Amino acid sequence: MIMTILIILLVVIGYVVLTYNKLIAQIEAVRNNQKQIDIQLDRRFKVFESLINVVKKYMDYEQTTLKDVVALRNQAQQAKASGDEKTRIAAENKISDIAAKINLVFEQYPDLKANQNCLQLQEEIVSTENKLAYAKQSYNDSIETYNATKKSFFASWIVNLFRSKLNMDFAYWQLSEQKVAEQESYTVKL
Amino acid sequence: MANSLHDFTAANTNWRHALRANNHRTWIIIGIFLLIYLGIGLLIDMYLYTSSYPQASLAQIFRAIVTFQLFPIATSVTCIIAVISLLVTYSLYDKLMLLGTDYHEITPQTAQSPQEQQLYNVVEEMKIAAGLKYIPRVFIIDADYMNAFASGYSEKSAMVAITRGLIQKLNRDELQAVMAHELSHIRHLDIKLTLTASLLANLTIMVLDVFFYNIIFSRRRDERSGNALATIIILLRYLLPIINICLLLYLSRTREYMADAGCIELMRNNQPLASALLKIQQDHIAHQDNYKAAYLNTPHENVRREAYIFDPTQAGIKGIGSLNDMFSTHPSTEDRLAAIGFILKNKV
Repeated sequence: MIMTILIILLVVIGYVVLTYNKLIAQIEAVRNNQKQIDIQLDRRFKVFESLINVVKKYMDYEQTTLKDVVALRNQAQQAKASGDEKTRIAAENKISDIAAKINLVFEQYPDLKANQNCLQLQEEIVSTENKLAYAKQSYNDSIETYNATKKSFFASWIVNLFRSKLNMDFAYWQLSEQKVAEQESYTVKL
Repeated sequence: MANSLHDFTAANTNWRHALRANNHRTWIIIGIFLLIYLGIGLLIDMYLYTSSYPQASLAQIFRAIVTFQLFPIATSVTCIIAVISLLVTYSLYDKLMLLGTDYHEITPQTAQSPQEQQLYNVVEEMKIAAGLKYIPRVFIIDADYMNAFASGYSEKSAMVAITRGLIQKLNRDELQAVMAHELSHIRHLDIKLTLTASLLANLTIMVLDVFFYNIIFSRRRDERSGNALATIIILLRYLLPIINICLLLYLSRTREYMADAGCIELMRNNQPLASALLKIQQDHIAHQDNYKAAYLNTPHENVRREAYIFDPTQAGIKGIGSLNDMFSTHPSTEDRLAAIGFILKNKV
């Protein structure tokens, strides 16, 4: 008789401990997933920032190269007019150097076409936005799991026993109603 | 077989229900396996003790073993053998999966083309959606046929491998669906599960074999009770392999359905997986002869057969898994599509 009571007691305690630990793990998972959204927001900012910088630098490079070429061209023409053959040749040589460098760049990267760059950029943007969206989804999923356990039968009793530790109220990630209405009526304007 | 998704009526799918239902089925099968394993051990213990206690009846011996008055030696020994062989296979298995293929690993640093970069991105996205703690290692297999598989015993040691043919012929969403399916296998610990089950199944047959030959050659026909047990052992020797194969196939199919449902859980969209499955199947049928040669020329293809997203035998490519070619380890593509909400129109 005592044995039976002891066994039942052990089973009950075991159940309480397991459920307690499960809920704690779920709460921490929700918290971690919440931070994952922050991580992805941070990542998006940094990735896009560096993408913009690359584009800017690329354009800068093109512009300075063009400027250099124009300046050297003028130099060469002036030298030609004044009969200063030495300066002229030097200027022309510099232009060839620049051209050779550009060619070298293109030879090293045969894929360095505007089209390819555009595709890569697109992929990076899509992937970044997807990661952010999936982070939000994962956060909501973990809240669902936690809430379902918390509110389910038996487990809810245990939650009542340790309210301060186990009873958390996480808000699902969602848009405000005004924002939803805005997005709903959105159409692409071409 | 239908050629495009237009031949199907599209509907939503209740992936939560699919996950739960298939999970229950798995538990039942695992339970049956354990029972078979213990049952075989018990049977052999009884067989052994009948020779030590010839005057005791079978029921008495059974009661004595179950209440531990007689120590179940055979059951304990087979359990220890099972644990040891499981540990050994766990430690070796990862290296086994890529055996015979031409493969290379992909990391963000070593991605050689936008396609490879995209593949890595897709895996990373699915890892975030699944809330995995580690990103699995990503391998590309240099082969034309379209297939992919996952391996690994825990999130930490997990890997996914995908053939070059698959990357080239699927679009981004479809690729993502395939990867989501593979990551679901990892999340559900399917590799560990199916391997454990098949190892247990093989062990029971090996143990039975030992006693089967023992009975055949020793010919102890003097004791009646031992004789009844011998008949059961001889019968089981022929029946058990069939039962095991049925159970393993059922297990593998439920896990496929579960991974499909898991893919939809991650993507919240059933269309990409459906079109990927259709594309893979059609591609296998269209290039049947080439792929058959490719599969057959790759050594150790049978290790991967269960893990693949698509079982090549369904496209009529035979000879990969030696014994059970006539049964597929996967449900038919049509059934899988139906399970995720795409039901063939005007089914004749």
